Amino acid sequence: MSERLPIADGSEVRAHAAALFHRHRRPLGAVLGLHALAAVAGLAGPRLLGELVQAVKEGTTTAHIDRVVALLAVFVLAQTVLTWFARRASFVLSEEVFARLREDFMGRVLALPLSTVERAGTGDLVSRTTADVDALARTVRFAIPETMIAAVTTLLTVVAAILVSPIASLPVVVGLPAILIGTRWYLRRAPEGYLWERAAYATMTGTVGETVDGGRTVEALGLGRRRIERVDADLADAYRAERRTLYLRTIWFPTVEIAYVLPVATALVWGGWLVSSGRASIGAVTAVALYVQQLADPVDRLISWLDEIQVGATSFARLMGVAKVPDDREATGDEPEHERLCASDVRYAYREDHDVLHGLDLDLEPGERIAVVGPSGAGKSTLGRLLAGIHPPRTGRVEVGDVRLVDLDLESLRREVALVTQEQHVFVGTLADNLRLARVGSTDEELLAALEAVDARPWAEALPDGLETVVGAGGFPLTPPQQQQVALARLVLADPHTLVLDEATSLLDPRAARHLERSLGFVLEGRTVVAIAHRLQSAHDADRVAVIENGKLSELGTHDELVEQEGSYAALWESWHG
Amino acid sequence: MKQLPLLDPGRPDTRSPTRFLLWVGEQQLGTLALGMGFGVVWMLAQALLPYVLGRAVDDGLAAGDNRALLEWAAVLLALGTVQAFAGVARHRAAVSNWLQASFRMVQVVAHHAARMGPAVRAKVTTGEVVATVSNDAMRAGGAFDITARLAGAIASYFVVAAILLSSSSVLGLVVLLGVPILVLSLSFVIRPLQARQREQREEVGRLTALGADTVSGLRVLRGIGGEQVFLGRYRTRSEQVRRAGVRVALPQSTLDSAQVLLPGIFVVIVTWLGARLAVEGRIRPGELVAFYGYAAFLVIPLRTAAETVDKITRAYVGAARMLEILRVEPQVGEPAVAAAEPPPGLPLTDRRSGLVVEPGLFTCVVSAAPQEGVELVDRLGRFVDDEGVWLGSVRVTDLPVEVVRRRILVSETDPMLFSGTLHGELDPWGSATEAEVRTAIEVANAEDVLDALPEGLDGLVEERGRSLSGGQRQRLVLARALVADPEILLLVEPTSAVDAHTEARIARRLREARRGKTTVVLTASPLVLDQAERVVFLEGGRIAATGTHRELLQSTLAYRATVTREEEDDAA
Repeated sequence: MSERLPIADGSEVRAHAAALFHRHRRPLGAVLGLHALAAVAGLAGPRLLGELVQAVKEGTTTAHIDRVVALLAVFVLAQTVLTWFARRASFVLSEEVFARLREDFMGRVLALPLSTVERAGTGDLVSRTTADVDALARTVRFAIPETMIAAVTTLLTVVAAILVSPIASLPVVVGLPAILIGTRWYLRRAPEGYLWERAAYATMTGTVGETVDGGRTVEALGLGRRRIERVDADLADAYRAERRTLYLRTIWFPTVEIAYVLPVATALVWGGWLVSSGRASIGAVTAVALYVQQLADPVDRLISWLDEIQVGATSFARLMGVAKVPDDREATGDEPEHERLCASDVRYAYREDHDVLHGLDLDLEPGERIAVVGPSGAGKSTLGRLLAGIHPPRTGRVEVGDVRLVDLDLESLRREVALVTQEQHVFVGTLADNLRLARVGSTDEELLAALEAVDARPWAEALPDGLETVVGAGGFPLTPPQQQQVALARLVLADPHTLVLDEATSLLDPRAARHLERSLGFVLEGRTVVAIAHRLQSAHDADRVAVIENGKLSELGTHDELVEQEGSYAALWESWHG
Repeated sequence: MKQLPLLDPGRPDTRSPTRFLLWVGEQQLGTLALGMGFGVVWMLAQALLPYVLGRAVDDGLAAGDNRALLEWAAVLLALGTVQAFAGVARHRAAVSNWLQASFRMVQVVAHHAARMGPAVRAKVTTGEVVATVSNDAMRAGGAFDITARLAGAIASYFVVAAILLSSSSVLGLVVLLGVPILVLSLSFVIRPLQARQREQREEVGRLTALGADTVSGLRVLRGIGGEQVFLGRYRTRSEQVRRAGVRVALPQSTLDSAQVLLPGIFVVIVTWLGARLAVEGRIRPGELVAFYGYAAFLVIPLRTAAETVDKITRAYVGAARMLEILRVEPQVGEPAVAAAEPPPGLPLTDRRSGLVVEPGLFTCVVSAAPQEGVELVDRLGRFVDDEGVWLGSVRVTDLPVEVVRRRILVSETDPMLFSGTLHGELDPWGSATEAEVRTAIEVANAEDVLDALPEGLDGLVEERGRSLSGGQRQRLVLARALVADPEILLLVEPTSAVDAHTEARIARRLREARRGKTTVVLTASPLVLDQAERVVFLEGGRIAATGTHRELLQSTLAYRATVTREEEDDAA
């Protein structure tokens, strides 16, 4: 039902990642340089130990031993200090990179075209903002830096071994085929498994959330047993996913582990032959064997983060996908000459060849109040969105002052017309923040005046900190009618000349709505209003009533005219009013 | 591996977090022991690798004996293979330990939440329950996972110390005393790190919440304005998260470099002492290589010990949160002695309001004050313990809750529609035929939802019915209540979110579908009231008038004002 937002494909992900590296290339170079120095300091150990073995073999003094060990101590200290600086620099850098990444993402989300937001809903975006940003944290903070460090260390360890003795170092490659083949086999299968795990756990937490939120429904309908079975079924799926990845690791782990030992054994045997044929010293062979053994650590870290990076890449692709949504309007710069809104011969389809509006005409008199009624699915809400300039009609025109609504930039459009739906949102923040978004830079007096206009000033001023009271989730709880009044006060501040109300008060208790309609009355005063209504009372009070049936305008006129016509409106009114 | 999830997770010991965790451990002693066994073999194989390497240097390389070298190389490979397989067996046992413990904890918490129904939210928020299940329970399993490695770490520590002790008492003592000292000093670095990581997690949590909140209100922001202000807010928070991350970087890099320094100190001391012994001829050069290897190896048990402290702390904190949920008690109590179930077809009476629900009638209740109507439903549906509600001549509080739920079904204005197939969610009890489900959908006029799903009744409803509009959700919920087909059906404003055309249609069909059955609808909608066989008007929580809709419109001014929403002064 709701449209999905796009996801970046492989080449786009690579391009975005490359751009990211390019943007931070200088600090990145510095960080890698520091890590390389730390790795070099760490490579002194085997070499010095090889020298010790050689010296002991050839006979030496304790003074020489003390000097060599002192040197070893110096290198340990140097490695410690360099590691500290390198780590710190790399943590600071990854925090920086990640902060830019999520801020850029939020910037793109907040610039998404109005039509996309209306059509795709916010569920998918919320999960990208929360789950995907969180999932990427581990990749950016740990996986990528660790992989780069491990790659540098691996490279330098091999170089160190070669510097000791190129010929004795040949066994380094012995383990390579098994590591490459095993890891390739694993990486081809692993991401799917880990994504499966993630999805399974997300489903499970979703089930638990539903159960707790719907506690009353669970109790009323006796669904406790069923909810328990549902959680167990979700866990069973998670377990299957865990079994799958465990199987992959069961094959992969021993393969690479043995591949780490194999070169050490080979280095010894090969070294023995080199020593006995006089091509290398015992010390050199010992040092190389230790290097080869030491290699296991960085190689292991290098390959064990790769699956994490792959999983992170899927989240990255979802974040970058938002950038693919094209803008839905291009302002022509035309300014409306008057405030009259007209729709002529509009058709609209959500799916190709499935028009939901079939050539509809509607001209709004400035300042008039028109009620739109009709059965569900007749196209009332779609008409509302077209009149509010959210979607362009497939054919026909929706214009204000002879300029097409979709030719206005968003800022100008908001001055002309606003859509108000039943879906309202009170943001976490102060009441003032919640109002000021409609007109940035409003004074507190203007905010209070707007609240006054919707009859909300008394309760607003009675809040613990007045306008500065924190409301929204976790803040001071506002009742649903109060939330609706906040939304109405925003409209007063935004001050468009035309309002499209799409079932704006329908989810409320009908009797609370009565009070609210009074608040609404103030807001509507002096504006052109299109009210898509469930409740016939508002139709009765409107200047004109439009009945929409099957995507067509079937009746249009004043309440009295339509009652006289004895059409479908009249029948409804009869049963409503008794 | 044990089959998960568990058929019955058992009754947890909720007296304290420690007892709770011990209870979890007791249920999987076998797997714990197995993991420890593999852990010991795995870690010992690693610890002995330097020994073999040393012998290869001495007996092979130094002695110029290539045959001995070959033999020791073969032993090295064999030991490596043992280590690899014991390692993967240890990993499997550890994962099994983690999953068994975590799943058991998730199950006991989630099952308890499902049984307690609305009582849970009275004590904790949904977010807290979700976090407890997804984070606390899953992480607390880590304390059971680590036992395998911990056992190996302790065993290898003693073995390495013993080997060194046999060569030199000084070397042996360095290791024996050194390791505990280093573990202790590592924990000094870890504490401040954990504190800052906690701060960072809190900051991240706030940023995530802000992001979710901003995006949830995106329609408002894009429709009315204020995007730049909200982007600014997000940036400010994001900057705070970055700073918290930088604050973590300090102890984190200290920990990382400590992990270089501390074993480095071992390597230096052991190498120094070993080299002197070698010069004196008390050990061979290869043994020196082995000593170097032991010293470098010790970093693994060292880290494991530090990690264990961390995991157990987390498990303890998590267990405390789980207990908070596990200690929630049901909102209504079961009777001490259950009364015999009365036969069907008896009136339901509420003494407080004076309401008598006649069996077999379609009754509408209109309450002048909405709150009083809600309280009436709470009493009739037994969501509160009220002695004044009777089914025939039996107090409903004397009946088992399960019996009351089966006979009196309450469906409210905005109840939860759970995710699943349409069929499964409309008939969660699995008691109705497909035709009955289709009929219920038709009565609730929800055919449009069915038509929009390509898979029809097998189509999926998203979590919380999010993909549906408020009106669609409401109509499906009504269909669900009709499928249940209870003896007494209590509906609260079942059509408040649907348009007038549809509402009128639903009201007519509802009356037909429930003909001869007891139905009570709490509503103020004239389109529904017009269909009622009997309308009861409540004022001040008591019955003020009874009659048909049309009768009451004529006779009772307050009624007319409530249902037509006309002002009292212009109603006449």
